[in-house]
Amino acid sequence: MTDTILKADNIVKYFYEPEKFQVLKGISFEVKKGEFLALIGKSGCGKSTLMYVLSTMDTDYEGSLTIKDTLLTKQSQNQLAAFRNENIGFVFQFHYLLPEFSALENVMIPALKLKRYSKAEIEEKAYKNLEMLGLKDQALKRVTKLSGGQQQRVAIARALINDPAIIMGDEPTGNLDTANTQIVFDIFRELARERNQTIIAVTHDDDFAKNCDRIIEMKDGQIV
Amino acid sequence: MFNSINNRISQVHLTSDVKQTIVAMLGVTFGISMYIFMTGFMSGVNDTQADLAFSALAHVRIYNDGPADNSNIAKKVFPNDIINVRNAKVIKYTDGIKNSTAILATLAKQKDITGFTSQVNVNVFFKNAGNKVNGVVSGVDVTNEDKVYGSSKHMIQGNWNELKYRSDGIFVGVELARVLGLKMDDNVNILTSDGVSRNYKVIGVFRTDVFSVDKSKAYIAINAARQLLGVNQDYVTDIQIDMVDYNNTQPLIDNIKSLIPYKVESWQMGNQQLVAGSSLRDTIARAVSLTILLVAGFGIYNIMNMTINQKIREIAILKAMGFSGSDVTKIFLTQAIIIGILGGCVGMVLGYIISRLVNRVKFEIAGMHHLPMTYYPHNYILAFMFGLITTFVAGYLPAHKASKIDPVSILRG
Ligand SMILES: Nc1ncnc2c1ncn2[C@@H]1O[C@H](COP(=O)(O)OP(=O)(O)OP(=O)(O)O)[C@@H](O)[C@H]1O
Ligand SMILES: [Mg+2]
Repeated sequence: MTDTILKADNIVKYFYEPEKFQVLKGISFEVKKGEFLALIGKSGCGKSTLMYVLSTMDTDYEGSLTIKDTLLTKQSQNQLAAFRNENIGFVFQFHYLLPEFSALENVMIPALKLKRYSKAEIEEKAYKNLEMLGLKDQALKRVTKLSGGQQQRVAIARALINDPAIIMGDEPTGNLDTANTQIVFDIFRELARERNQTIIAVTHDDDFAKNCDRIIEMKDGQIV
Repeated sequence: MFNSINNRISQVHLTSDVKQTIVAMLGVTFGISMYIFMTGFMSGVNDTQADLAFSALAHVRIYNDGPADNSNIAKKVFPNDIINVRNAKVIKYTDGIKNSTAILATLAKQKDITGFTSQVNVNVFFKNAGNKVNGVVSGVDVTNEDKVYGSSKHMIQGNWNELKYRSDGIFVGVELARVLGLKMDDNVNILTSDGVSRNYKVIGVFRTDVFSVDKSKAYIAINAARQLLGVNQDYVTDIQIDMVDYNNTQPLIDNIKSLIPYKVESWQMGNQQLVAGSSLRDTIARAVSLTILLVAGFGIYNIMNMTINQKIREIAILKAMGFSGSDVTKIFLTQAIIIGILGGCVGMVLGYIISRLVNRVKFEIAGMHHLPMTYYPHNYILAFMFGLITTFVAGYLPAHKASKIDPVSILRG
């Protein structure tokens, strides 16, 4: 339970449009395996930007990022894509689903890509994840026919499908009512405790944050 | 390696906007069907042209080219001096082919030859009452002449094989008969340049649809022609050869040139204008159809580009979930190839239908009834291949662009 799974070292990031602007001003922290971490801070302080860096999607930064003892900084896009597929589940702030597919297929796609299990096993697991989030009866609907909150839960089910070592959520419960927020929180809590998966969640919800193992607060691109 | 989730995504993309898929497919279909129609039509025209030409022309011809010019013999001995021979003459040693039996035996051993025939061709005046027309009377080996030229097909009156038994019989061209006012069983007088005159009975009239032949040619039996000239049984003026592939005459010529002491000439050498015409038509057909395919390719390129711009967020999501650049390329290239294959198959069918329809259009000139058309399978296969290559290239460029999309810059908004 004590080994480090993620290590960010002095991460600095600039935006150049419309003018040069330092968003992240040297962020360093470590996350332990099985930890449930909340990232909070005022709107515009750079939380989403940091999450994109941590999720390995954004490679345009200074400093270094290590996940599961693998130095990811400067790896190629394709190597990072394969790494993400296996190790990182991501829930975007604006739940990005594939509009032409059903909820079930959206959940299955990362697992079909990873090919660790057979299609039948993946389908069963996807159903289980959807059921857990109260979406079993919506599984075969196209995601464009679902409500905002339902879509967000589909995105959460998708993030969990490959049993990733780290689950990152950018306001994963932003569109959910209190009951569903509680369900999601409980799922995260359980994954961290029972399966030793690491959760990093950006949130504006004080109750949500309070119940996490640790809270990191950001202000103007720095950790306070 | 074929990743089935990639295929599934390609399939969903193709089927979720069927209209757009069909539009892209129609581009290929149009290109391929036009290609098939153009090449079928052009080779039909070429074949018809060849048929017409070869009704009066053999693939290879052997004849006496006349003696070499030896009139300035002293020049050969003293090539560097100026020698002037006054009133020099080319002396005529031989005329026609004297030892035809030996040559025919040589030819019989060659492969790729489908038939050959000997002729004794004589320049003559045809006379009937007061009318006088100059032309050629051709003494022919009745059976072989028919094999090489299909002459019996051209008979409009009389029976080709009858010439075998009638040494006084003659077949005249339809125009010649008209000019001289000849009918069946009329007599026609023939006058050679040596002043020999003889009468023949018209036992047939033919039409080759080559006007110059129909107005100046007549056939008699080969021995009758030898009699007319007063030459022996071995004498011929021309040996005409037909080959398996008339476009491939050179190997035979190289083979027999050294064995035969006479001029061996392919139809290509004697008829450069026909060769030029057919290869120009081929070039036009190819240029036009490749242009059409190119335009179709641009169509696919545009539609694929559009699709990729529409789906840019989905591509970013796929990459965020761990799909590599080459996965994305495969997903979109698969779509292009499926469009290419479907469009190609429909295009082959449509091309065939268009060809059939055009083939029915009436066109009554020079013995034709309809516009000519060919249905060679290799043209269909070639069209399909070209279509696939075009879609592959036209699909690869946008697909490759899609693989380079940076997911964060799209998802961040
Ligand atoms: N693509 C971009 N180009 C330039 N500046 C950007 C870009 N994206 C974000 N920013 C700026 O960077 C800063 C941090 O943005 P970020 O999205 O990380 O904020 P956040 O902490 O996630 O806010 P919120 O809680 O509202 O989601 C903001 O000031 C924003 O204006
Ligand atoms: Mg944000």
